[in-house]
Amino acid sequence: MLLVIGLSAGMLVGEETWWSLRPLVSPAVPAADGGWGRNVVDRFVHAKMTERGLSPSEEADRPTLIRRLSYDLTGLPPSLEEVEAFAADRSEDAYERVVDRLLASPAYGEHWARHWLDVARYAETHGYDKDQPRENAWPYRDYVIRSLNEDKRWGQFVEEQIAGDVLYPEGPDGVVALGFLAAGPWDLIAHMEVGEGKVDGRIAKHLDRDEMIAGVFNAFMSTTVQCAQCHDHKFDPITMVDYYRLHTIFAAVDRVDRAYAADPEVRREGLVLGQGIEAKEKELKEIEAELARGGGGGGELADLEGSIEALASRLEKGGLQGAEFGYHSRIEKSADVVKWVQVDLGKAVRVESIGLQACYDDFGGIGAGFGFPVRFRVEVSNEEGFAQGVRVIADHGEADFANPALREVAFEVGGIEARYVRVTVTKLAERTGDYMFALGELLVNGESLGGKVTALDSIEAPPRWAERNLVDGRFAKATDPEGPERLAALNVERRRLLEGRAPAGLLERRVVLPAELEDSRRRLRELPGGEKVYAIATEFEPFGRVVPTKGKPREIRLLERGDLRSPKEVMEPGVPPLWEGVEPLLSLPEGHGEGERRAALARYVTDRANPLTWRSVVNRVWSNLFGRGIAATPNDFGRMGELPTHPELLDWLALQFRDEGGQSLKGLHRLLVTSATYRQASTYRPGQAEIDQGARYLWRMNRRRLSAEEIRDSVLLASGQLDRTMGGKSFKDFVIEKPMHSPHYQYHLHDPNDAASHRRTIYRMIVRSQTQPFLTTLDCADPSRSVAVRDESTTGLQALALMNNPFMEVMAGRFAKRLAGEERPVEALFRHGLAREPKELELALFERYRQEHGLENACRIFFSLSEFVYVD
Amino acid sequence: MSIESPTRRQFLGGTAGGLAGMALQSVLANGEFSIGMHHRPKAKRVVQLFIAGAGSHVDMFDYKPLLEKDDGKPWDPGEKVELFQSNPGNTMRSPWEFTRHGGCGKMLSEIVAPLGEVVDEISFVHNLVGKTGVHSQGMLLQSTGFNRPGFPSAGAWVSHALGSANENLPAFVVLPDHRGYPSNGVKNWSSAFLSAAHQGTVIQPGADPPIVDLFPSGRGGYLTPDSEREGLALLRSLNGNYAAARPGDDRLRARLASYELAARMQLSATDALDVSGESQATKDLYGLSPDGPAVADKVINAVAETEFFGRKCLIARRLLERGVRFVQVWSGADNAFPRRNWDSHEDVERDHGPLALGMSTGAAALIKDLKQRGMLEDTIVHWTTEFGRMPCAQSGKGRDHNPFVFTNWMAGGGVRGGLTLGESDQWGFKPEDPSNPTEVYDIYATMLHLLGIDHTRLTVRADSIDRRLTDVHGRVLTGLL
Repeated sequence: MLLVIGLSAGMLVGEETWWSLRPLVSPAVPAADGGWGRNVVDRFVHAKMTERGLSPSEEADRPTLIRRLSYDLTGLPPSLEEVEAFAADRSEDAYERVVDRLLASPAYGEHWARHWLDVARYAETHGYDKDQPRENAWPYRDYVIRSLNEDKRWGQFVEEQIAGDVLYPEGPDGVVALGFLAAGPWDLIAHMEVGEGKVDGRIAKHLDRDEMIAGVFNAFMSTTVQCAQCHDHKFDPITMVDYYRLHTIFAAVDRVDRAYAADPEVRREGLVLGQGIEAKEKELKEIEAELARGGGGGGELADLEGSIEALASRLEKGGLQGAEFGYHSRIEKSADVVKWVQVDLGKAVRVESIGLQACYDDFGGIGAGFGFPVRFRVEVSNEEGFAQGVRVIADHGEADFANPALREVAFEVGGIEARYVRVTVTKLAERTGDYMFALGELLVNGESLGGKVTALDSIEAPPRWAERNLVDGRFAKATDPEGPERLAALNVERRRLLEGRAPAGLLERRVVLPAELEDSRRRLRELPGGEKVYAIATEFEPFGRVVPTKGKPREIRLLERGDLRSPKEVMEPGVPPLWEGVEPLLSLPEGHGEGERRAALARYVTDRANPLTWRSVVNRVWSNLFGRGIAATPNDFGRMGELPTHPELLDWLALQFRDEGGQSLKGLHRLLVTSATYRQASTYRPGQAEIDQGARYLWRMNRRRLSAEEIRDSVLLASGQLDRTMGGKSFKDFVIEKPMHSPHYQYHLHDPNDAASHRRTIYRMIVRSQTQPFLTTLDCADPSRSVAVRDESTTGLQALALMNNPFMEVMAGRFAKRLAGEERPVEALFRHGLAREPKELELALFERYRQEHGLENACRIFFSLSEFVYVD
Repeated sequence: MSIESPTRRQFLGGTAGGLAGMALQSVLANGEFSIGMHHRPKAKRVVQLFIAGAGSHVDMFDYKPLLEKDDGKPWDPGEKVELFQSNPGNTMRSPWEFTRHGGCGKMLSEIVAPLGEVVDEISFVHNLVGKTGVHSQGMLLQSTGFNRPGFPSAGAWVSHALGSANENLPAFVVLPDHRGYPSNGVKNWSSAFLSAAHQGTVIQPGADPPIVDLFPSGRGGYLTPDSEREGLALLRSLNGNYAAARPGDDRLRARLASYELAARMQLSATDALDVSGESQATKDLYGLSPDGPAVADKVINAVAETEFFGRKCLIARRLLERGVRFVQVWSGADNAFPRRNWDSHEDVERDHGPLALGMSTGAAALIKDLKQRGMLEDTIVHWTTEFGRMPCAQSGKGRDHNPFVFTNWMAGGGVRGGLTLGESDQWGFKPEDPSNPTEVYDIYATMLHLLGIDHTRLTVRADSIDRRLTDVHGRVLTGLL
């Protein structure tokens, strides 16, 4: 087997491309042979069988077929009437009409949504510590059900879940679909309590993006990119650079409740306002650019610019700037956030004077005096916390303090014994639209005494910015103390000149536009909120230490060994070049919105030339219908995954689905379940089994055990309790204790008689930290990971669950009540429970048992029949 | 066998057979302890004592004289230290005195002094390091080897590899703190991509029922012993016919057997949890309270904590005796208030005092009891926690998280006793040799080695990677063997 490291698929020279990355090419369809088969699928299957000396099984009988079809397409069993009608229907298309009826049933979407939600790692709590509920996750679940029932084109279904807000803004699903990206676990403590100011918080953000990237690539493309986090993918052509480029695509988003308008009128208005805001922002930017360009140079302006350049260069060279700028607070959205920084001199010192020295930083063209506090006070104390014995040395809290540029601001103290000196800032300095404060040096008695610096918060970006820089004896000194001020004055003059040259209309617009923008933003905010969905967003009310990026992507660097402490080069948005013709770097315009990055990723995934996406979806459907995918690892088409048993069939299906089939899942289902392959009996044939034990080549249909959800739904249905209400908030089959801190989800306290919990299991609220014990024992999916194929275990605990779980006990009682009025209750038991008449022995045994132990006991035992939980 | 799910074939493909971990075989196990997978094992079973909330190494096992000397003085490690909740406060000594114990002369604090009597059986590792100071991630790292969800717990791996020695009890049993689950809840004992048969089965001694669905609740009042017995006979007959009519499908035979197993499990589990037959001396050894689990605990106190943890240790011993492969015993619930876990941000003395006395009484009793029954030599006792606590103060009397260094210890199962392997620095802030720390991978590599398993060869393919309990790391701590 080939080992490809760090090469893209298109670059493979002299080596065979891995099967899943080969372009989709229409394969030759095998000739119809021996008269077996109903459609093209069968020709491919039969050809493989013949190659191996296998022969197909005969068709299953009608009761078996309709039970299989009903469970496979809707997750529910057929009724006795449906079974009898089908058995008696002699028309040509009796089978096809059952298929169409089932595909048209709303239960179809409910059942296949369960398969997709397994893959989408969907749950309704965060997981990790405290495991708080997500009250608004369910609209995404309903979106999946609705999309499947509407038979939405697959490409659109995919695109909506990655960038619906950008690509389908006019529909109601554009935002709701983004629930996919947010569906996985989220570490509340690391995001809310630790935050991005600390390494642990940044690690959490990294894990969060990794989770989204893995989600997209596993689910839609059956590819595992996450392995390239620490090293180039060992087995698949994905490099670390490819992987970290993907991080830039999700670098601006956070998981949060996001408002969406269910009312189309409101949605339209919101859209218009949003577009207006975008246009105005663009105009404002252009005006500023126009002003900056000036009107062609010459004359007074040219002279002025010459002076500015000369002065700036002189100041620069004048040793004005060391590498260690000083201390820098964190950045805020408003000026009135109170912050402090303090120096511990190590022991009490007789303080005569305290001096503050500003910083120099060209950021935003500010230069000298960068970040110097606007309002502040200086205090000393002998108590670290400044809770007692505080002496105020200077208080400039009432009026703005003129920026001192690089002149020292000194305060007389007069010989107070103090160990701690603190500067508390009550009005921060403006940078460009945001606020912070910075200080170059804190001097005591005219010198840098050293000591330990602490602050409310700090941006640690050594060597430039670090708390310790405040007392390191290095700070910007003006060799020409008046220079910076003169430079600032010259810049003001230049600006005035430029504005003088600009057309009057432009300047006017510059005054009007910000007000208009403010107004549009307010109206957008005041639109009726509509509904909320737990999804991803860039604009939201900050909560804890989760602060919206407002669409500005966080900087992403390649991380050596995946370690945040070893950052390498800055990454640009890009996608792995997994097939010929993919440009690894996304070509996006300067100043593009973050959504454009996701839109580009969505188009990459649904690209017609993408060899993975189309194979992935048809293989998933196949896997869920036949019990095993054509490639048996539906989440992994890489070199560590299973090879396809019928590669030509897979390609034929993928192309058929992508093109002629119109990307219709229902069409694909119809094609597959009407095949002779699907309609085979599951009977064991020793001779065939000797050649192909696991029936990988489909010489018979696979028997399967019902999923946890199918078992629970079937029990409710048999008992006459199943509430078929669709959609809306999830039911809870637990009681929450201690909801405030770490909710305890107590399943044993829930009363199974609670009618609200008698809906289909897809509408259950799924908890990560305390999974539902009954369903978990029956191999329900672990919502913390993408599950492509459910495990099928057989354990003693399952027997205990089916016999003793309070839900089963209560439903046995309900079932008995339903049968109580029947003249022949045991016959009714089999009709309702298995949609058939009991056989002689079954009737005799159950009748005797019922007479001795009552109908409730009979119902309880009935639910443990193997036939009740298996489908032939 | 006719099951052909990818998962099962992955098991067979991923390791060279010999696994007792498949779902079916866990039902049809032959009742024999397997003899390891890759080499002759020293140990057959594991009991893991898991301290939830982060137990303070510097207040229990890792004595630091410098903290006493510099108590109250500014703590200056010469670098900027970023903590979970706070800025580093002054140096803080332990509120407890340390004294020498055992032939090895190990310094232990007052609150874990009960372990002094067995300290010569124990080896300490004081230079463990974590990855982050966030509880959930730290705990997942120690329980599964990964700091994010989706990976099997160590107990699930051991169950997968070695199966159960008693088909009437699960291979992996969890005894959580009865007041609540730790961070991540069931993820700490989840089977993730292994079969659900390997997830930890939660036992809540004293609850009704102690194992979910072990017995019917009797709702509706229609159940009698006769209806149960004859019902099972009815199932045996009809499910037997169903299986017989469908040859070649072992799942259906396994399903028949599973109902027999369930009935036997009811008896075995009931018997394992019933401590009434234990001698008074044994009950006293484990510190059980005359009030039993109803002991007063409105205010956190040592008597109650000893009863809670001691009873779990006693039941752990009974489970191990009956062939359970891996028992996880938890001390500490979630992070709610008032504190009933080890997350002593506010007051180390208040929480750690009673919790540690209870823990050390139960743990010492377990080691002594295993020893006197001849079981210690092939039972690994492993003490762990998500990370340690800082040598400096938080808000005067508490300590913040310390993922930079913390302690684990092991006893029994082939571990040499009375050793200390790997030291922390003078404060207990970082490893003494930062370039050579111990990690969770090393601990589990060692544990698997003792169980006869080469940690690099116990793999299961998931999401394109042959996953291991030890990720891509791990070295056997030969100094402990």
